[in-house]
Amino acid sequence: MSMRSNHSHLAMQNRSRQSGLALSLTLHCVLLLLVLGQVVYLATRHRARIDATSDQLYSLTESTLRIVGGLEKRLVVEAYFSPKEELPADLRNTRVVLDNFLDELVQIGKGKVVVKRFNPIEDKALQDTCTRIGIKPIDTQSSTTTAVGVSRHWQGLRLVYDGGKQKVIEQVAPAISFLAEAILTPAIKEVVTKERRKLGFMEWPSAIPGQQGQAMGWEFVRTMPDVSKRYDFQNYKDAEGALVPDEVETLVLFRPTDLTDRQKYVIDQFLMRGGTIVLFSDVADYGLQPNRQCNKVPMAADAKDSQWKWQDQLLHYGIDQPGQIVADLAPQAGQAQNPLTGGFEYMGLAMQMGMVRQVGYPYFFHAVDGDWSQPQIANKLATMGGKLDEEQAAYYRRTLRPGIDTDEFLFKAFRQFKRGPGMYWPALMKLRSNGIEPSLPDGLSGRVLLWSSPLTVIEDPQASLNPLMGRDLQSQTLANASFNQKLQQRLQSEPRRQAPLMLEVSGTFSSFFAGKDRPKKASELKEEEDRKKADADAQKPDGEANKDPEVGPPAPKQEKGEDQVATASKDPEPLLAASKKGRIVAFADSDFVRDDFTRGVYRQQGGPHSIFGAAFFPMLIDWISQDSDLIALQSRLPSDRKIALLGDQVDEAADRRDTEQKLRATRSA
Amino acid sequence: MRETAVIFRRELKSYFLSPIAYVFGVLFLGVLMYLTAQQQIVEGQQASMQAFFGLLPIVFLFFLPGLTMRLWAEERRSGTIELLMTFPVRIGSLISGKFFAALAFLAVLLAFTLGLPITLANYGSLDWAPVIGAYVATLLLAGSYLAVGMFWSSLTRDQIVALLLALVSLLILYAFGFPRVAEWIAGFLPTWAVDLLGGISPYKYFESISRGVFDTRDVVYYLCFCGFFLHANALVLHYRRQKG
Repeated sequence: MSMRSNHSHLAMQNRSRQSGLALSLTLHCVLLLLVLGQVVYLATRHRARIDATSDQLYSLTESTLRIVGGLEKRLVVEAYFSPKEELPADLRNTRVVLDNFLDELVQIGKGKVVVKRFNPIEDKALQDTCTRIGIKPIDTQSSTTTAVGVSRHWQGLRLVYDGGKQKVIEQVAPAISFLAEAILTPAIKEVVTKERRKLGFMEWPSAIPGQQGQAMGWEFVRTMPDVSKRYDFQNYKDAEGALVPDEVETLVLFRPTDLTDRQKYVIDQFLMRGGTIVLFSDVADYGLQPNRQCNKVPMAADAKDSQWKWQDQLLHYGIDQPGQIVADLAPQAGQAQNPLTGGFEYMGLAMQMGMVRQVGYPYFFHAVDGDWSQPQIANKLATMGGKLDEEQAAYYRRTLRPGIDTDEFLFKAFRQFKRGPGMYWPALMKLRSNGIEPSLPDGLSGRVLLWSSPLTVIEDPQASLNPLMGRDLQSQTLANASFNQKLQQRLQSEPRRQAPLMLEVSGTFSSFFAGKDRPKKASELKEEEDRKKADADAQKPDGEANKDPEVGPPAPKQEKGEDQVATASKDPEPLLAASKKGRIVAFADSDFVRDDFTRGVYRQQGGPHSIFGAAFFPMLIDWISQDSDLIALQSRLPSDRKIALLGDQVDEAADRRDTEQKLRATRSA
Repeated sequence: MRETAVIFRRELKSYFLSPIAYVFGVLFLGVLMYLTAQQQIVEGQQASMQAFFGLLPIVFLFFLPGLTMRLWAEERRSGTIELLMTFPVRIGSLISGKFFAALAFLAVLLAFTLGLPITLANYGSLDWAPVIGAYVATLLLAGSYLAVGMFWSSLTRDQIVALLLALVSLLILYAFGFPRVAEWIAGFLPTWAVDLLGGISPYKYFESISRGVFDTRDVVYYLCFCGFFLHANALVLHYRRQKG
């Protein structure tokens, strides 16, 4: 009996020992789970990240880090997204990209960025909200063997900063991560930026009337959303001739013409203050009549009563603009290389049935991104009548420059297209030289950023540069051939040289007006005139001088404040030398950003349409303002890693089935 | 350490002596390479291994429990576990030897897939850094799956039960990371619980590391995940040893 009870006692002991052990092991597991959970949580909060991709595909640029890292208030990103699984394949991929980007934003925001997700698909009220705030659905077509359907998806964002300022991105479907960044970062910047940066401008619209008889200015590029949302352009070309306020750091001059001495002084003093001048310059104005006669329109840089020449003033700053225009005969300089531009970027002529005929016109061209000093190019240029001039070739190798002669990020996006922005009848503009090499004034340095090709013809502006004489197609074709042939002949008779299309001079400028009389403001001139008149009146006999007050009511007493205002509006002492380093960025053309060219006014008639000019302007302004935040985003593109199984045998547009057939043939061979 | 090495060698050798490993290897590589080649090696497509690494977690989900099911269950069925338990070997050495042997076997299999990036690099400009990163991530993911499989294998003597338990648990863990599942769960669970479940899913952590972005969070997660299941495995064995 006792043995049996001992046995059962032992069994009980064993069971309780085992259950105790199991319990302790379970508790052990739970505790471990909690500890490891904490570790993972901490690792999520304090993480380090290395993007090993060579293009840094999954790294946010410094720009985004700076903008998001510098948030003072909470940024709420409301994501109105349909469920990922319901999206078609293409959109689903974009969702992954977008989700990753939003995750990264939350991480770098360190609590300042909150993403709230909403699914409008199953909630009618949310759909109404989306419609109200401006988020638009994406309708995609789906087809099966028996039916075609349309499915509706939502993928839009609303950014709300500090519960107030907001920005809606109605649809967003970035295929790659930096496209997401290129869309979202500017939007974030826009929503968190309190004030737009102030930029000054002066413009002298073209005398050629537009479609409704309006003068052609540069409003389009100034009011483009990319520009106007971040920059506040203010016109400083006023009748008074007031100096540009100190808070304005950049002054854009659109084709200065009929410049008064006072305007020249205002520009000079702005530069002396250390400002940056962006100059879009021309020396001749041509009209694009319906038949493309390209007749010259009168234009002068200086106003009639101007004492000082603008050309001399520019030369004083190290920029030489001798009053000639440039044509580039290199075929690649005049070809629109982007299919987007179609045949419209340069000269075209509308034909019957809506067809457009492209016309070779060497006065419309762009800088080609290529090294013109390459031996094979230099040798070709130095070959005359089949004979290579070694000395000349060596000279070309030494002196010719790449079309885009800079690594500035401004041109990174353009480099993808292997070109610069297209220009129209550009002027010859170069760095001041002593005839052999640039010779800039003391304290200044300069560089050329864009060059034409070595097949450049430089000439005085002719009265007409019509490439299409004649009424019918045949005579126009002949005329065009003859026009181009003449230019070719001119080219053959001249040495090969490149013309700068964009240049930069920076440093400590000295005033053009040093030692000269300060040009006076309109009010000062009027005051002077009045004073002279008063003096003249005073010199008249007493009875005549005091006649006026007796006729009219008594003159009001001068109040205290008026005197103060008059003192405040007086010009400060002229600055004869720059107090800070200034900069001039000059373009040899102003047409490529002008309204009629950028808006595509001539597109219907076959061109030109300055698409690249319109794209270039916002980048230029960002670059000038040193807003590398956004331009760095614009110029970010991935490397092309396409698989080329057949190498050169296959063109990109080839049908995939043909490709596979060719591949099989290659393999069997 | 020497004990671990001995067990490691013994286990690894057993993989190559058994036909199952070869069947497993051929099937695994065949399915993976066929699916990848269909999607990735196409004229004009970008030279990238994303399709391959996108498929790996799913393929692993079905293949790795098959590899781990026998690790302990076989020992228990054949009775060698008692023998192992009586050896003067630490449980940690036993587990790590088996674990690293399974991982090494998988690494050998993965080495056979290197032909794919080499081919892509030959016909396109392949970015190697993310590929190397993704292989490292794959080993981490595989390690986690193996740890889960080993744990379930230690709990049962039936290999099929071990396989099913591992498969189902991994499937559930993996599913928690899918937005659709998360959305469904959100219908009856509070947000913090949905976030928690999403946070323990290996799916989310593989994605970024496999595209060439090394994040300490992902590495820490995999190490913790792996460590937890290996430790749990050790506790089970310890319990058995105590139990006698």
